[in-house]
Amino acid sequence: MAKKIGFFNLIIGVFSLISSVSAQSTLVLSGSVRDKQTGESLIKAVVRIQELPNAGIISNEYGFYSLSLPKGNYSVMVSQVGYETLVQKIKLDSSITINFSLQTKNVLKEVVVESSRKNDNLTKAQMGTETINMAAISKVPVIFGEKDLLKTIQLLPGVKSAGEGNSGFFVRGGGADQNLILLDEAPVYNATHLLGFFSTFNSDAIKDATIIKGNSPSQYGGRLSSVLDVKMKEGNNQDYTVNGGIGLISSKVSIEGPLQKNKSSFILSGRRTYADVFLKATEKFKDNILYFYDLNAKANYQINAKNKIYVSGYFGRDELGLGQDFGIDWGNKTGTIRWNKIISNKLFLNTSFIYSDYNYNVKLKNGETNFNINSEIKDVNLKQDYTLYTNTQNTLRFGFNTILHNIRPSTFTGTVINSVAKTGRNGLENAVYLTNNYKATNQLTIDYGMRLSMYTLMGGDVYNIYQNGVVSSSIKLAPSSFGKTYANLEPRITTNFRIDDEKSIKAGYARNVQHLHLLSNSVASSPSDQWIGNSYNIKPEIADQISVGYVTKVFKSNFEFTTEAYYKHLQNQIDYKDGAEINTVSDVESVLLYGIGRAYGLELLLKKKEGRLTGWIGYTLSKTERKIEGINENNWYNARQDRTHDISVVGIYDLNARWSISGVFVYNTGDAVTYPTGKYNVQGQTLYQYAARNANRMPAYHRLDFSATYEKNKTKRMHGSWNFSLYNVYGRENAYRISFKDDPNDPTRTQIIRTALFKWVPSVTYQFKF
Amino acid sequence: MKKILFIVVFFTIIFIGCDKEITLVLDDNKPVLVIDGSITDQAGPYFVQLSLSTTINNPTRINGVNNARVIITDQAGVKDSLQLVSNGLYKTQKIKGMEGGTYNLEVEVDQKKYTASATMPLKVNFDSLRINTFPFNGEIRYSVIPVYADPVTLGNSYRFIQKINDTIDPTFHVFNDNLNNGKVNQRPLRGGDDNLKIKPRDNVFVEMQCISNTSYTYYYSLNLQSGAGPGGGTAPSNPPSNIEGGALGIFSAHSVQRKTITIR
Repeated sequence: MAKKIGFFNLIIGVFSLISSVSAQSTLVLSGSVRDKQTGESLIKAVVRIQELPNAGIISNEYGFYSLSLPKGNYSVMVSQVGYETLVQKIKLDSSITINFSLQTKNVLKEVVVESSRKNDNLTKAQMGTETINMAAISKVPVIFGEKDLLKTIQLLPGVKSAGEGNSGFFVRGGGADQNLILLDEAPVYNATHLLGFFSTFNSDAIKDATIIKGNSPSQYGGRLSSVLDVKMKEGNNQDYTVNGGIGLISSKVSIEGPLQKNKSSFILSGRRTYADVFLKATEKFKDNILYFYDLNAKANYQINAKNKIYVSGYFGRDELGLGQDFGIDWGNKTGTIRWNKIISNKLFLNTSFIYSDYNYNVKLKNGETNFNINSEIKDVNLKQDYTLYTNTQNTLRFGFNTILHNIRPSTFTGTVINSVAKTGRNGLENAVYLTNNYKATNQLTIDYGMRLSMYTLMGGDVYNIYQNGVVSSSIKLAPSSFGKTYANLEPRITTNFRIDDEKSIKAGYARNVQHLHLLSNSVASSPSDQWIGNSYNIKPEIADQISVGYVTKVFKSNFEFTTEAYYKHLQNQIDYKDGAEINTVSDVESVLLYGIGRAYGLELLLKKKEGRLTGWIGYTLSKTERKIEGINENNWYNARQDRTHDISVVGIYDLNARWSISGVFVYNTGDAVTYPTGKYNVQGQTLYQYAARNANRMPAYHRLDFSATYEKNKTKRMHGSWNFSLYNVYGRENAYRISFKDDPNDPTRTQIIRTALFKWVPSVTYQFKF
Repeated sequence: MKKILFIVVFFTIIFIGCDKEITLVLDDNKPVLVIDGSITDQAGPYFVQLSLSTTINNPTRINGVNNARVIITDQAGVKDSLQLVSNGLYKTQKIKGMEGGTYNLEVEVDQKKYTASATMPLKVNFDSLRINTFPFNGEIRYSVIPVYADPVTLGNSYRFIQKINDTIDPTFHVFNDNLNNGKVNQRPLRGGDDNLKIKPRDNVFVEMQCISNTSYTYYYSLNLQSGAGPGGGTAPSNPPSNIEGGALGIFSAHSVQRKTITIR
């Protein structure tokens, strides 16, 4: 069935290509949209023709737009959040290129989560998508006063935090490894610093971030649950700017400026924490090491009006150590080279060459012996992405992506053990895709597409085949030979029907396939988590999601209300046997178990995007379950991230020109966990008896945060502001861990101990600009 | 350089939350039979302890099961009916434990049958104990290393019971040879319990058991049961064992060697 749908879509795609050739009677208006002050290209700016209500286009990732129009006189309206709308009269008697520069609004009405146009959510077919405005997240209170992209997206419905002090997140019942996190197109395998307290994204270097909850267009692929697409700033091509921050936790500095005015620019941004400096001051912890640093760099160069090159890189590393005896360090390196080419005024091409590397090292030293564990995942990635602005009604996007993965699982070396040199396994992931945005009528928009993803095992390693946990045969793939190939078709469709100016309904279906899998020993994300590719036993994970949605303006159009319901079915989910040692076992595949999953839920979001009060209320009602052969007597059980209710309220209020206040409230049902049902005594020790997996609940989690910002008088030279924030206002001791142990005063009695991480965390920040 | 933006965080005070005892409403517990039996290469008798599990709120103690029929047979055809000593503790009469021997346990309680089979692995010589010191947060910590040469064949497992001046270390110390197959062991017994720090002049007693891989997984899983929640370990479950029929516990056949060292 899936194959038939795919074929049908391909045919439509080919037709749109042909129609573009035949529709030569229209003219083309194309160009780019930029920020007037900095020259940064503006993503998702809306270009509209006032005289033709159905003609409009959204600028792409590089600010490019193209519109096919009949000959005539028009008023072009260009708009983007946070910018003054520009209206320009044009006379179109031949195809022309116009670059628009938008002026930033000088009022402080930035909103955190925004669609690019007031009525945008009503007309776009895309579902389950939210864009984070980086400039505005500084007003949302966060722990330690460090604004953080990953913490803010966790306040959206359908996105759940992996817990306090953890940047991991779960989208619509998926695992933390089922999110595709892209930084300038490069996959980031571990998006956390300091064991999860911070994300790898330095907000000063980030331009924009979009999260798509499962219904991503077919140019994205490789993960089941979501795509978090993070774009770095390009750098100011008008003027040199230095931004800096000095804090107790971290310091950061960014430099940006033009390489050639109006044409090319660069940005360099670095950050380092120094909690270890304080540790050094104490006698007890003076040998301990605890810090991270990261560096973002990007440059772009405009060769001519049709060609532009972008080079961007990220380098980050964490170091943690206890004296000479123990050390762990990990980090990501990513690099992207992109070449934008405007082939014609209707055809835009981007070619990307991407490198990504994640590795960790653990060092253990014990007197004369030492011991190291390390693991690495390396990707080399080539992508070509074409956008064809076929005609007023159709925009076609197609391309291919080929990734060479090299995955080296945990490798142990040292004086006391048998050092086994592991070269790692190679896998080749290929994809071709095609997606068409079709404006069928003034009211109906359809995005449909197809992705064909393939994963090929490559030579150089031995693959065991297991039956019931026992090796049944073994395949040795010679270097530079190819093994099994998995091929999957991923059809995707979303439709939007606009009932009137205030209401629209949406529906969508998407299949996502994942070829890389994360094996984690701990519930929280840990740097030593292992990635593994498909093999003869491990099959690609598959998720099918259907969703329906309704968007309407309410309360005199001051609020936007969005609701979406989804059902997701997951195949080839991976877990491992009870008591498995996934890090030391000689072949981790011998301890893996496979099964299925299902997730369904209802998400409600009420947003206020304008006025003195902005913010949103989000609520999610959901269920997430797994059924794995060999776990919980093969019955369905709650996934750990199954939380029935999840509420988040975010409000920002401008009291007057000087003061603004903001607050965040979150509530969620406790995680599904397994408490003991009983106990017994063996050899003088208390042991616990367990029944069904994850049948119990942690206590409910809730918290209120508050912050106030005071803007001082602006003078010509100096501008300062104070920010006061309090995390966990009413000091709730939210459970981080529940443990059962013998009462030290009466060993026959069992104590249930709740460990909480933070009670109150106040912070004060002073910012000034000159 | 027209614009310079500086952010100064003046102070951040963290009030760290702490551990607190709470009460929870827990699911009703179904009492389950617990079997803890072993055969060693030492002279008999050997013992099998039968008990019933209880609820979390009841006091922890051995609730002995006294109405069972307990039989151990070996591959030579010796059949031993165990005798009740007291409170669910049963004692062998004639069976003799030997390296390489396979033993079958059969327990019958209230018409329900439980079985287990265990083979005693070949003994690996316990050569000596040695002292290991390491600096930790500005002080010297001690641990002991059991010295033995792991055989070249893969798949050896060991359990160590450590006593510090007659106080039993509650950690289940189990080693396997996944990483150091065929090497002389240099891994110390590191206890997780801070109350059980080893100090100079302490006497440290270590019993080394050569155990089966099944027993290894059993004890290893018990160590993983470290609490629930984002800060806990993996989802805990009853440890996998060799007992068939729905009882908890383990039936182990292992060799025993003992050594003592005084910390200097």
